[in-house]
Amino acid sequence: MISRVLDWFDSRTGYRTLVRKALYEELPRGTGWPFTTGSVVTLLVGCQFITGVGLTMYYVPAPSLAYDSVRFIMTQLPLGGMLRGLHYWGASFLVVAVVVHMMRVFLTGSYKAPREVTWLSGLLMLLVILGFSLSGYLLPWDQKAYWATTVTINVARSTPLVGEYMADVLRGGSELGALTLGRWYSAHVFLLPVTLVTLIVAHIALMRKHGISGPIDRKVGPGEAFFPWHVIRDTVMMAAVFASLFTVAALVPAHLDAVANPSDANYIPRPEWYFLSLFQLLKYFPGPLEPVATMVIPGAVIGFLMMLPFIDRAEGRHPFRTPRRAFTTTVVAIGLGVLTLTGLGLADSPPRDDDHWDLLPIAGWQIATDEGSPCARCHLPGGPAAPLAMTRITRDEEWLLSHMADPVALGPGVRSAREPAPRAMMSRFKAQAVVSYLRQEHAGRRHPVVAEPERVAALTYAETCVACHKISGDGGSMGPDLTHVGARRDAAGIKAVIEDAPEIYGETAMPTFKDRLTPEQIDALTNYLASRK
Amino acid sequence: MTQTPVAPGNRRGFLIRVIQTVHAGIGATLAFIVGGAVVAPSFSRREKVWLPAGSVPQLIEGVPAPVTLRLVRSDGASEVVDRRVVYLVRTGDTVRALDSTCTHLGCRTKFNPDLRQIECPCHGGVYDTQGNVLSGPPPSPLASVPVRIEHDRVLVQV
Repeated sequence: MISRVLDWFDSRTGYRTLVRKALYEELPRGTGWPFTTGSVVTLLVGCQFITGVGLTMYYVPAPSLAYDSVRFIMTQLPLGGMLRGLHYWGASFLVVAVVVHMMRVFLTGSYKAPREVTWLSGLLMLLVILGFSLSGYLLPWDQKAYWATTVTINVARSTPLVGEYMADVLRGGSELGALTLGRWYSAHVFLLPVTLVTLIVAHIALMRKHGISGPIDRKVGPGEAFFPWHVIRDTVMMAAVFASLFTVAALVPAHLDAVANPSDANYIPRPEWYFLSLFQLLKYFPGPLEPVATMVIPGAVIGFLMMLPFIDRAEGRHPFRTPRRAFTTTVVAIGLGVLTLTGLGLADSPPRDDDHWDLLPIAGWQIATDEGSPCARCHLPGGPAAPLAMTRITRDEEWLLSHMADPVALGPGVRSAREPAPRAMMSRFKAQAVVSYLRQEHAGRRHPVVAEPERVAALTYAETCVACHKISGDGGSMGPDLTHVGARRDAAGIKAVIEDAPEIYGETAMPTFKDRLTPEQIDALTNYLASRK
Repeated sequence: MTQTPVAPGNRRGFLIRVIQTVHAGIGATLAFIVGGAVVAPSFSRREKVWLPAGSVPQLIEGVPAPVTLRLVRSDGASEVVDRRVVYLVRTGDTVRALDSTCTHLGCRTKFNPDLRQIECPCHGGVYDTQGNVLSGPPPSPLASVPVRIEHDRVLVQV
């Protein structure tokens, strides 16, 4: 029955001829495992397409919702973590697979005439895939997205003559914001996929037109059929790569920073690992030399790769024999350069502890959730505002701080200086602490286990010290930064300063706290600060 | 991999089966994850919450009192405030809550105090004060909403 339906379908469409044409190709004798790299790339591109379609059903390309929609995918959507995991790690796998494929093509000399255009289309695809990565990591609108994109756009700005215009076009204006996100999203889901599919079709058509280049040294004898004798190798490689991707995605959740905070001056943006070499290169060409790192060197490398099939025209395909030895040396040198720079960039990365909580968010956590918290008056089930766990941290910091001081204000910040403001419901410092807490909470950080002394230290710091002192980037700048104060003074020294600074420093802006803080508060602060080495 | 002269058909058939199985496996895994993530929210239900709706002494025997509830709930990645209207109907010591949504096609009903009946403006459905259908197209009585009374406070579950 089924075969009769298929027969009818074939008679009307001729699909069997099409399948036969697609599958039955004679490959040169000895075409082996190295020639499976292209299939792996195809598999990973397919994976990205399928998981990408799934993600677009939930992702919202607007600064006020982008981050929350990604958090929703990661934490609330069944299988969402895995879905984003496959897409996120798939991007890294794809970059590796593309580079491996390119290396294989280079080592077997497959780009040589008559396959120059195949090689060029491949290089274009590499650039398109890097474009995917670049536009892709802006989309979650987290700290990394915001700051790494700021850097990317500033790199484009350093282009001589047209830089400013390019930056304005990339941003959709003079500031990074909703218009930027919109156009990068559109590029990521429409423009680049259409380009990539077109290039893939062209690449495969060209590959079929000229046939697979086959082993470097031609073997005599009959060739072998593509299906199933080579397809089985492709299939085994694809299965291995897919299994690895699946394992990584299942074991390591995709990264998501805290929500983008344009007013944060302490975040150090770092690109994804595959752009780390360019990032590292920037460090060696300061000031007016910057275009050397952003344009000249990358341009020269890409230009060299593009020209390769036209300058390397001698017959031999062996990478280490005379006509090609010089090219191989150059490419190996480029590769080593990229690897070294990537390594240096990795070695330079600050250690990251996603679940680390500083004093300020710990204090904010107490203030916002403790019994009698002013927030809980409205943020409760059935209350006038959504419970805190459900609220979205999409307002800017100024708005949040004003809202916490004066929750009923409809337009925080618009009251003129002449009108008397009501008594603030929460001091600005406490509000700052609550904002840092909300950032941690919305980034899905696990709540820390806070011992009583640390709790006391956190609240005391957030109510008093933060006015003048910074710890890990948060706080005032009147007094010295206390981030590493434990390295400068021992506990006794710290305690003496807290209790009576004028006694030690003579004339100083720091008041005596002997009588303002309880001994318990002073001890808690002392122990905490002494531990900050 | 060279073709073995012995029973090439068997070997070829085996390889084809391996290829088909592996590709089907990869496809099924992707379909499960992507399909699951796409379909799952369609079947997830919000956890119901108890909201205060009024107090027993304020309710007049046999007169449905419409109460508007503010229900803050998450809506995908965002949060929305729903306004749900329920009728609280007191009969002696017991209180019932009726969903104000017409069971015909989902319009919002209104209590008509003159005729002491609940009316739907869309297609003329009429219910009595207990939510039973008096006339018109509604197929069933107004839906009951769970009620709990705590120290004279009426809580409804929505």
